[in-house]
Amino acid sequence: MTRYVVKRLLYMIPVLLGVAFLVFTILSLTPGDPGSIILGITAKPEDIAALNAQFGYDKPFLVRFVNYIGDILLHFDLGTSYATRQPVIDSILARFPNTLVLAVLSMCLSSILGISMGIFSAVRQYSVMDHVVVVVALVFASMPGFWLGLMLLILFSLRLGWLPSFGATSFRHFILPTITVAMPSAAGLLRLTRSTMLETIRKEYIRTARAKGASNRRVIWKHALRNALLPVVTTLGTGFGASLGGAIIAETVFAMPGMGTLMTTAIRQKDVPTVMSATLFLAVLFSLIILLVDILYAFIDPRIKSKYRNGGGGRE
Amino acid sequence: MKKLLTLLVAAAMLATLFAGSALAEKTDLVIAVDADIDTLHPMDYSTTIELNVLNQLYDTLMYMNPDGTEEPEPRIAESYAISEDGLDYTFVIRDDVTFHDGTPVTVDDVVFSLNLYKESEYQGSQISMMTGCEAVDEHTVVCHLDAPYAPFLLGLCQPHIASKAYYEADPDAFVTSPVGSGPYKFVSRATGSNVVLEANEDYYRGAPAIKSLTFNVIPDTATMAIALQTGEVNFAEVDSSALLQLEANPAITVVEVPSSGFAYVCMNLEKAPFDDVRVRQAVNYAINRENLVAVCYDGRAEINSNICSKERFGYSDAQYQYTYDPEKAAALLAEAGIETPFNIGEILVAEKNSNLATVIQNDLRAVGLDCTIAVKEFNSYIGELVSGNYSISALTMTLDGDTQSLEMAFMSDYIGMANNARYSDPDMDALFNQARGETDNAARAAIFNQIFTKAQDEAIYAVLCNPLLLYAYNSTLNCPEFDLEGNYFVYDFAWQE
Repeated sequence: MTRYVVKRLLYMIPVLLGVAFLVFTILSLTPGDPGSIILGITAKPEDIAALNAQFGYDKPFLVRFVNYIGDILLHFDLGTSYATRQPVIDSILARFPNTLVLAVLSMCLSSILGISMGIFSAVRQYSVMDHVVVVVALVFASMPGFWLGLMLLILFSLRLGWLPSFGATSFRHFILPTITVAMPSAAGLLRLTRSTMLETIRKEYIRTARAKGASNRRVIWKHALRNALLPVVTTLGTGFGASLGGAIIAETVFAMPGMGTLMTTAIRQKDVPTVMSATLFLAVLFSLIILLVDILYAFIDPRIKSKYRNGGGGRE
Repeated sequence: MKKLLTLLVAAAMLATLFAGSALAEKTDLVIAVDADIDTLHPMDYSTTIELNVLNQLYDTLMYMNPDGTEEPEPRIAESYAISEDGLDYTFVIRDDVTFHDGTPVTVDDVVFSLNLYKESEYQGSQISMMTGCEAVDEHTVVCHLDAPYAPFLLGLCQPHIASKAYYEADPDAFVTSPVGSGPYKFVSRATGSNVVLEANEDYYRGAPAIKSLTFNVIPDTATMAIALQTGEVNFAEVDSSALLQLEANPAITVVEVPSSGFAYVCMNLEKAPFDDVRVRQAVNYAINRENLVAVCYDGRAEINSNICSKERFGYSDAQYQYTYDPEKAAALLAEAGIETPFNIGEILVAEKNSNLATVIQNDLRAVGLDCTIAVKEFNSYIGELVSGNYSISALTMTLDGDTQSLEMAFMSDYIGMANNARYSDPDMDALFNQARGETDNAARAAIFNQIFTKAQDEAIYAVLCNPLLLYAYNSTLNCPEFDLEGNYFVYDFAWQE
C-alpha cells in the first residue's frame, strides 16, 4: 500500500510539469500582452514596453517558462503578480481558505442529501415519494447556479433579512453559497446513487443474501450499499476537485473572494504568474484528492485492496 | 450539534437586530465596487476604482474639476502662479499639512511625488512634458516647461502627494500600507474583498463626518443592488440593469452623473468604402441613436454625435449634430456611387459591445448596408482594432481630463493607439498643436470649435452617446453634486442628522 502511494506521488511530478507547460503555452498563445492590457488603448508604446520589460514579459517564451519553474523549484517562489505587483502566494492564501471551506461544506451537504435520498428512492422504487424525489432532483439539476443563488439572496437577505448578502467573514456568510453549490451536485449524486443502487439490488448475490434470510436493513446497508457506492465515491472525488477550482458562480454572486474568481480575472488580465500558480496549486490538490479516492476504494472494496497489495495498477 | 448551530444562528440574528435598532449616530460608510482593488500605489494604479480609493487617502496640490475649466481649489498648495511666458508654474505649500504618520508635508515630498508620477508608466503622460521641478525655498515649488502647454495645471493637480521618507524607508509598505495626507487613513486591506479606512481626525480642513469607510468588492450587479437595499452597502456605482428595483425603493437615491466617455462607431478610413466622407456621413445619419440608447443603455445615456461631450470645454451647439435620417443616408450612399444592398463585411466588436453591434447592424441594413457581426474576446479585439485589421467597429472609450486628450482620437501620432479611424490630416494635427500651446481660454475654445466642426463635417467617427454614470445610495446619506466623470470625495459626504 505504501509503495503504491509513493509510486503515485512520484507520478505527480511529470503530471504537474505537463500541466504547467500546457497552461503556459496556451497563455502565451492568447492575444495581448500584460502591459497593453493593464495600461489600455491610450498608453504610449514605450510605456507598454517598459512595463512588459519590468515583468520580464519581453523575454522569449521558453526562457520565461524555465525561469518560472526554476524559481518555484529553487526558491519556492511562485512569482509576482502582474496585476497587484505583490507575491502571488498572498493572493492565493487570501482566497484559498474560502474556497476550501465552501467546497468542504457543500460536499458534505450534497453527499448527505444526495446519497441518503438516493438510497431512499431506490429502496422505494416507483413509490409516490420516489417520484417526488426524482422530480425535485431533476429540477435542481437543471437549475442554473446563478439563478438559484440570486433567488436565495432575494429571499433570505432582501425579504427576510436573515443572512448577509455578500462577503466571507463568518459562518453565516457561507450558508447561502453552500446551498447554491450543493443543490445541483446533490441532485446529480442522488440520481447516480439511485441508479447504481437499483442495479446492485437486482444482482444475484443480493437475491442470495435475501434467500439466506438476511434482514432487509442488512441487505441494503451491508451488501448493496458498499457495492453501489464505488461510482458515487469517484464522482464525489472529482466533484470535490472541481469545486476547489472554484464554484465561480457562487463566488461571484455572493462576492466571496475565491480561487475561481481569482483565476478568471487573472486570465483576462493575462497575469501569467497568478494563473500558473493557481493552476499548479489546484493541480496538486486535485491529484492528491484523486489519490485519496483511490485509497478510499480499498476500504470500500476488499478486492481492490488486494490488488494494491500485489503492487498492481490503480483503479479501473 | 444541530441545536448548537441553531442557537448560534439565532444569537447572530439577535445581535444584528440590536445593532440595527441602536439609534446611535451613524458614522460609518460602506461603498461597493465591482472589481478588485489591485494596488494602493499612489501613482502606479490603472483603474477608476483604485483612483477613487486613493482619492480618500491622498491629497493633491490643488483640486480642479475634471475638465480643468474652473479655478482650482487650494489643497496642499494654498496658491499658484503661472509665469508670463507660460513656462514656470509656482506653488506655495501650506505649512500645517501632515502625513498620517505625523510628519509634515514638505516641498521635498511634493517634488518627489511629482517626479514619481511623471516617471510612472501608468500615468506619466499627463505631465510628461515637465522638464524639471524643484523646491525654491521651504514653501515654494516650481515646475518648468520648454513650451507652453495649456492643460499642464490640470496635469499637476492629478498626482497624489506621498511621503518621500516613508517611500525610502520601506518601498513595500509604501504600497501595502499607504501613508497619505488625505482625510482618511489606511486601516487594512483584505485582498479580493475589501479596503478599510478611518477618519484622519487631524486633517487640516477639519475632521471628516464619516468616521469609518469600507470599500467592499462586489462583482455582481444584482448582488450589489440587493446589498444596497439591505443597507449592508450605503453607496455604489451601479449598472443600468439594476435601476428598476433600486428606483422603486424609496430608501435608495439614484443620481445620474454625466461622463465624457463615449460610445461610437469607428470606421477604418484606410479601407473602402469608409474612405469616402459621404459613406461615413450616411452611417451617421442611418443610426437611430434614441433607439440605441433605449435598447443598450436603458435610456441612461446622453445622445450626442459629437466626440466632445456637452459638459466639456470646447463643446458648442454650433458644432453639427447628426440625427436619424435614413433617407438622407440613402441619398448620400447613392451620391457616393454605392449600389445598395451593399455588403460592408463584418462589424468587429468585443463581447461586451455585441448589443451595440446588433442595433447598428439593423439600422445599417435599413439603408442598404449589409454586414455580419464578428464578436471577439476583448484582448484580441483590441489587437485587431489598433492594428487597423478591421473595417467597421463599435466600442466605448474614455479620453478624460482636458479636452486636449481628444487629440488621441484624431492626431496622426496616435494611429496604432486610440486613433482607430486611422485618420491622418496635417490641418487637424496643426489645430491640436495650436490648442496645446494656447493659454487664453477664449482663443482655445475657438480652436476646439474649429476642430470639432471639422470632425463633424468629415464624419470621422459616428459618435452615438455619452453613457451616464449611475450612483445609488441610501437616501439618508447627503452627497454633494458630482462633477463630470463622477470622482467622489467621501470627505464631502455625511449622514443626515
